Amino acid sequence: MHKFKSKKSILLASITSIFLVLTGCTNNETASTSNESTEESANSITLSWPRDIGSLNPHVYNPSQLLTQSMVYEPLVSYEDGGEIQPHLAESWSISEDGLEYTFKLREGVKFTDGSPFNAEIVKKNFDAVLKNKSSHSWLGVINVLEEIKVVDEMTFKMILSEPYYPAIQDLALVRPVRFLGESGFPEDGDTSKGITEPVGTGPWVLEDYKKDEYATFARNPDYWGESPELEKVTIKIIPDAETRVLAFEKGELDLIYGEGAISMDSFNYLKETGDYQTASSNPVGTRTLLLNSTNEKLADLNVRLALQHGFDKAAMVEGITLGLEEKADNILSTNFPYTDIEVEPVDYNTEKAAAYLDEAGWKLPSGKTVREKEGQPLELEIMYDKTDPIQKAMSETLQAEWSAIGVKLNIKGEELTTQIERRKAGKFDVDFWYNYGAPYDPHSFINVVAEKGWGVSEAHSNLPMKAELDQQVQEALASTDETKRKELYGSILTTLQEQSVFVPISYIKKTVVYQNDVKEFIFPANRDEQPFNEIEKASN
Amino acid sequence: MISSIRVGAKSNWAIAICAVVLLVFFLVSILAPWIAPHDPIQVNLALKLSSPSWEYPLGTDHLGRCNLSRLLYGARVSLGFASLIFVASLGVGLLVGTIAGYRGGWIDLFLMRFCDGVMAFPNLVLVLGIVGLLGPGLWQVVLALMMVQWVYYARMIRGMVVSMKQQNFITAARISGSSTGKIIRRHLVPNVLPPILVMGTLEMGWAIMDISALSFLGLGIQPPTPEWGAMIQEGKNFIRSQPELMLYPGLMILLVVISFNVLGESLSERFGVKRRY
Repeated sequence: MHKFKSKKSILLASITSIFLVLTGCTNNETASTSNESTEESANSITLSWPRDIGSLNPHVYNPSQLLTQSMVYEPLVSYEDGGEIQPHLAESWSISEDGLEYTFKLREGVKFTDGSPFNAEIVKKNFDAVLKNKSSHSWLGVINVLEEIKVVDEMTFKMILSEPYYPAIQDLALVRPVRFLGESGFPEDGDTSKGITEPVGTGPWVLEDYKKDEYATFARNPDYWGESPELEKVTIKIIPDAETRVLAFEKGELDLIYGEGAISMDSFNYLKETGDYQTASSNPVGTRTLLLNSTNEKLADLNVRLALQHGFDKAAMVEGITLGLEEKADNILSTNFPYTDIEVEPVDYNTEKAAAYLDEAGWKLPSGKTVREKEGQPLELEIMYDKTDPIQKAMSETLQAEWSAIGVKLNIKGEELTTQIERRKAGKFDVDFWYNYGAPYDPHSFINVVAEKGWGVSEAHSNLPMKAELDQQVQEALASTDETKRKELYGSILTTLQEQSVFVPISYIKKTVVYQNDVKEFIFPANRDEQPFNEIEKASN
Repeated sequence: MISSIRVGAKSNWAIAICAVVLLVFFLVSILAPWIAPHDPIQVNLALKLSSPSWEYPLGTDHLGRCNLSRLLYGARVSLGFASLIFVASLGVGLLVGTIAGYRGGWIDLFLMRFCDGVMAFPNLVLVLGIVGLLGPGLWQVVLALMMVQWVYYARMIRGMVVSMKQQNFITAARISGSSTGKIIRRHLVPNVLPPILVMGTLEMGWAIMDISALSFLGLGIQPPTPEWGAMIQEGKNFIRSQPELMLYPGLMILLVVISFNVLGESLSERFGVKRRY
């Protein structure tokens, strides 16, 4: 700023550049609208996506996008509402008594888009490609225990595990890495981690046209084995900025805005209130949770944790900050996941109770002071939040105000997301925001991190008197082959966690969508990462 | 419009108006606890995003906090810390500038090359780097801004000291047996200060912009303390339904920075102070 001779030249320059940018944008947009109206057939939709779709390789992670990977590639089994597992590319399967051998019978008549048949050989080839890079998939339970894949006959294969792991089937419903690439897509050495030659899948959609960072067009797969989608074409436009997406939608360039966080809550409500568009929100996909770290000696006391939970008006906070788009949560895991339907006594907003708990814990309010003390130490805690997340920030400020009323001083620290995750993993925090993984990862991924060190959650629980017992139960539940036993274990684990209040559930996060009136039959997929396009119809006008 | 400012800047009117505006802002920031209608960090979600009323003259923000009170308290942060940066970097600059200018030789060479080094980087980049190292927080931002601003004062003061050193009154003082320290304190500093204060007026505007910019990026002041840049950042999420949440603090920054700049320019033209060297 000290480089310019005159401040006025800066002013002039900035005004000119603003105008240039503004006019540039409008020109672009009008140009593309006119293009589209000519080429757009009635039976297609256009939607926005915040970032490039990445490589359409079924076995890799970011920057590949789950949405487009799930359009081209399909799983052996699919995840449906309530955690029900349905046959997909596998027609049926059986599990051996000891839970170590899974035998899958594949669906007949499925073809890849290169014309090659889907059979046990290609399944093995895909699994082998994934196992070649085991380390990059180690977060996924089934890959860790997977020993080998055996081809039994043309349409049958066996999955051999090294130890029993009940969620194995559920893990196979994920979008990545266990989905299937056709023969001609493989590179010569069969190692897909370095790239594939072409995106050949069995799925309902085929990539038709693609320009990096601009758009991707998918056409309906004419030879799809299942029920053919209604739409002929799906165009995905890459628009990184949320407000630009809304403007493009209002201009009619987009039929649909979909995706988690793709639209701000303010804009969502604005579009909803105009009444000119359709809006919807999904079932809970995850829980926004506070993590009270029990390794902090103040928070090690259950009474303090309960006091904090009683000490803020959750309903008002959720309604006020998320503008009603999230729902107040009493359960740590929402009950639409398997095994999570437990009896929970909601923790009410009651500052008197909170004060009583703190008194009982020995934190007294000295006369003339506003912060409680014990043995000369003030009751002071720090909450960390992702500083790019406006909801976390607003909630931190609300908690600070509310807890100060019960004599707890809360300091607020905004962190870079990477720092926040580092601190969480190292267990170096007092209070943190945490989210569970959602369908189809939960509830097993959730209980896994409660026991498994290295993710911050187990660390936060480490001062619970029953921690060892809890870990034991988690191991048993994950290995259990008996449904009733498993249900019992889950019930016991979740009840203990609710009672111990290291997790403080705040709200259920929901996905949102906005679409034009001529788009029909939008249904949120049960799997939070799966594409929603198969059912959509477009009314011809 | 710009040329009319230039014409206007030459007149005493511009000086008077800007001075009054700034005086009002300074008064407001000092008196904020008494004139603000509400506690600026008091959250009341039941009243969030309410429209202006007698109780809340400018309405409330997304957490139901009084906008007017937050703006008034925000003035404290902006003006207070900008002044602090100004005084601190002036102090360092004065020390380094006079020593380098008066002593000359390799000390001068070393200090001035160091200043050149700092000046070679765009300021905001350097500040972002320092804040990145120290971690976010208002004091870190103040320290970082101070660390990059003092060099400009040092350069300018050194230039003035070098030319002043040749003049007769300094020689006279030296002949009559004054010590170096005394010459610097009694003869150099008083002569250097007035033009530097004029330059400082301009720098204040930049300091306010920088503090706001860094707070907007989430590096400066930490919530819930009200600050104009941070208020713009919070208002950004409600740009559709409540654009005024961004407009109020934006207008405040505009007004204060323009006042400082016009005042600084008018003063320097009037007193013939060269702003840059």
